Amino acid sequence: MLKRLRNSKGKNITIWFEEKPISAQEGESVASALLCAGVEDLRTAPLSGASRAPYCWMGVCFECLLEIDGQPNRQSCLIPVQEGMRIRRPALNFGESA
Amino acid sequence: MKEIYDLLIIGAGPAGLAAAIEAAKHKISVLVLDEQSEAGGQIYRSIRTTQSLRPETYALLGPDYQHGENLEKTFREAGIEFLAGASVWQVEQDRALHFLRNGISQKVCYRRLLVATGALERPVPIPGWTLPGVMGAAAADVLLKSSGAVPSGKVVLAGSGPLLWLAASRLVSAEVEILAVLESTKYAYYLQALPYLPQALRAAEYLLKGLRLKRQIRRAGIPVFSGIRQLRAEGAQKLEAVHFDHRGQSKIFEVETLLIHEGIVPNTQLTRLLGCEHRWYERQRYWHPLLDEWGNSSVDGVAVAGDGGIVAGALIAEASGHLSALEAAFQLGAISKDHRDKAAKTYRKIIRHHQAVRPFLEQLFPPNPEILVPPEENTLVCRCEEVTAGQIIKAVELGAHDLSQLKAFTRCGMGPCQGRMCTLTVAEIAAKTQGKSPKEVGSFRGRPPLKPITLGQLANSTE
Amino acid sequence: MKTSDILVIGGGVIGTAVAYGLAELGAQVNLLDQGGSTPNASRGNFGLVWVQGKGLGMPRYAEWTEEAANEWPEFSADLLEKCGIDVDYQRPGGFEVCLGEEEFSLREAEMKQLRQESTNGGLTPAKKIACEMLDRMSMQALIPELRLGDTVSGASFSPLDGHLNPLLLLSSLLDSFKKSGNLHFPEQQVETIIFRNNCFEVQTKSERFSAKKVVLACGLGISKLALQVGLEVPLRPQRGQILVTERTRPMLVQPFVTIRQTGEGSFMIGASHEEVGLDSGTTTQEMRRLAQHAVNVFPQLSSLQLVRCWGALRILTPDTKPVYAESASCPGAFVVTSHSGITLAPLHAGIIPRWIVEGKTPVGFEQFHSRRFDA
Repeated sequence: MLKRLRNSKGKNITIWFEEKPISAQEGESVASALLCAGVEDLRTAPLSGASRAPYCWMGVCFECLLEIDGQPNRQSCLIPVQEGMRIRRPALNFGESA
Repeated sequence: MKEIYDLLIIGAGPAGLAAAIEAAKHKISVLVLDEQSEAGGQIYRSIRTTQSLRPETYALLGPDYQHGENLEKTFREAGIEFLAGASVWQVEQDRALHFLRNGISQKVCYRRLLVATGALERPVPIPGWTLPGVMGAAAADVLLKSSGAVPSGKVVLAGSGPLLWLAASRLVSAEVEILAVLESTKYAYYLQALPYLPQALRAAEYLLKGLRLKRQIRRAGIPVFSGIRQLRAEGAQKLEAVHFDHRGQSKIFEVETLLIHEGIVPNTQLTRLLGCEHRWYERQRYWHPLLDEWGNSSVDGVAVAGDGGIVAGALIAEASGHLSALEAAFQLGAISKDHRDKAAKTYRKIIRHHQAVRPFLEQLFPPNPEILVPPEENTLVCRCEEVTAGQIIKAVELGAHDLSQLKAFTRCGMGPCQGRMCTLTVAEIAAKTQGKSPKEVGSFRGRPPLKPITLGQLANSTE
Repeated sequence: MKTSDILVIGGGVIGTAVAYGLAELGAQVNLLDQGGSTPNASRGNFGLVWVQGKGLGMPRYAEWTEEAANEWPEFSADLLEKCGIDVDYQRPGGFEVCLGEEEFSLREAEMKQLRQESTNGGLTPAKKIACEMLDRMSMQALIPELRLGDTVSGASFSPLDGHLNPLLLLSSLLDSFKKSGNLHFPEQQVETIIFRNNCFEVQTKSERFSAKKVVLACGLGISKLALQVGLEVPLRPQRGQILVTERTRPMLVQPFVTIRQTGEGSFMIGASHEEVGLDSGTTTQEMRRLAQHAVNVFPQLSSLQLVRCWGALRILTPDTKPVYAESASCPGAFVVTSHSGITLAPLHAGIIPRWIVEGKTPVGFEQFHSRRFDA
């Protein structure tokens, strides 16, 4: 769905999505990195289960919510990628972590 | 971080940055909070990162964007206290607010508050707008700035307004494959804007820029369809095609990305929560906080600067930031009234200049009536709770006549976005169904949390 | 002038239930509501259909509540049939949780007293109050999906307790009422009521209504209007704040007084009891306290996102029990008010309309009259 216009001058970064490694680049948002990597099923609508993707890219539509490093429901379009980040889809199951 | 600041600024876009710089000059204590990871707001989004890590993109974005570099640099070098990644979720009556940062909720007090949270794209509820692949046009522009990314496949842009053309222009420069621009702007709008043209010529640079952008699109061989209607997005799991009517003919483009835009509207989440009085702005059909000429709201100690007060563009936002900070400095006793008034003159002049083009632009680009009240009943209005236009009409007919009743009956505004994406549409539908003006049906009451916070974070928050 | 047999003033869950019940009896009813975003207990409700703990000091009320709970299954089925809306009434039994040993003892003592009052002053032969104390282990056994926090000592449990979707209840009552052919006027605030020639003339800002009988079911607005028809009904607002989380998978079947998981999957946590006049705002202090409570009871809830919260005003009589009264000086003027409008809905749509139309008063009904507050 997305592609990088040019490669970043910054570092190559590896982030993890659902336990799979994704190549990302310094200076981009988590949501952007995932969509550039071809990950399209980020979220489903709560009632119908229809697929959803980021719409506003600025933090008001809440379609980009993902669990990042154990913290659920982070707006991934606002968060820059960091080496080793662990990202998961919003789960309807939630774990023991407080 | 101190316990209390003279001036607390929420938002590090042009208005917030300018206000901070001005305030620092007068030696009042300032703290700036922004939920983004760096300063710049949306118009200058990720300016520092783009400049250092994506210089070709930086060049492509042009002088309007690059203007932000100086602003951000001056802000940074002034050593003003700035907390990025800070999400304000609650405000108190006694001049304090709570924000979430790195998973911890903190409280900070202020003597004066400046709300500089800007605007958002007006939601464009067409059939299929929730399909992956449909996003805002200004959103695509922001994406290019924040992450250097562009749509990878075929694209169509649709809607109206200067930002639609700006986005189209930047994507053309980025060699994105744009199949068409579908303008909802009717020729009649040009006629109704004509009386405002002489005044607009005082800020002719905007008009020239608009013509340049259009020319660039034309030269790229991109067809422009004007006065389009019945725009719809279709696809199974994601966007596959865009349908529309043009001069009575049905047309279709098979694309993976549709960028839609019908202007921007003030983000009133924080001002609603603070209890500020709002007014309905008929010409552009949005709510905005009631402000005096210094940006003071109806709540003592709370001011608003920038597009969050009224949509007027980045340069007016910057000037209004200066004015709010001068006012704050005066109210706090740091400068005299005379000093304030004298220093304000430059900024009032800047505002007057850029304001000259606004009536023309607003008459030329009113919000598309098909977007205000979606003609098809199955169109989703509330994305979060999946409520359709038809369901809202039914609830109004059942007796839910204002927005708080509609919220209770339909669940609109109860999801994570808390009405950001649907309030205006719900108001327009409620108003039209009852033959009223939207200003008579109220707005969703501001309730915390402004941004999601976990129960655990709330339980552990600072008192 | 709009005339009907009966005029019901107040379109919240109580007024609408009464109006619906009156329509079922064949009466021609006009239902008025002042509309707007005025404090509206019916829209800010937690959604409990609750029996346990009710009626301390008035055993008749405990029985009244139990009657209502027993009528609920049929009542919700009726509503579903009439208007196609399922209010999602569930009766898995409910808990009132105790944190620490002292709370457990206090709760146990309270239950004992309720049992005592029922035996001594109850109107029906003393029957076992269907409520028992459960220790922590027994309680955890009933809630397999969520781990209880360390300070949970146990709870009182009643199999009669349940919950539903309160907003759907209001919708379904209104829809069923309108389907009966009667009229709802959603933007009429009543200013005056005059009793003249055995008839009530009601004046709003823009309209006049007349009826042989008038029912005041308008919550906090009752006190002022009741005086105009010869009734003194002292009422005060009490704020409750409620938190709502994001949706998640079903984990908690039984409602707690303070925590429940809705049919959509969100958790609701509430409520406070604040005497703050007509302020239905929210406070960080109370929000924090509610979050702490939730996390103390179920530590796993700490990772759930709080999505919204609100405050709403309960309508309380001095002893918190309902008022059902007919005016002596203006016969045909009725007051119906309670802070348990959800739980008592079947009675407000059944027994109460029969009292209004046919004059049938249930046993012990006079205990609910507002004259019990006269000095």
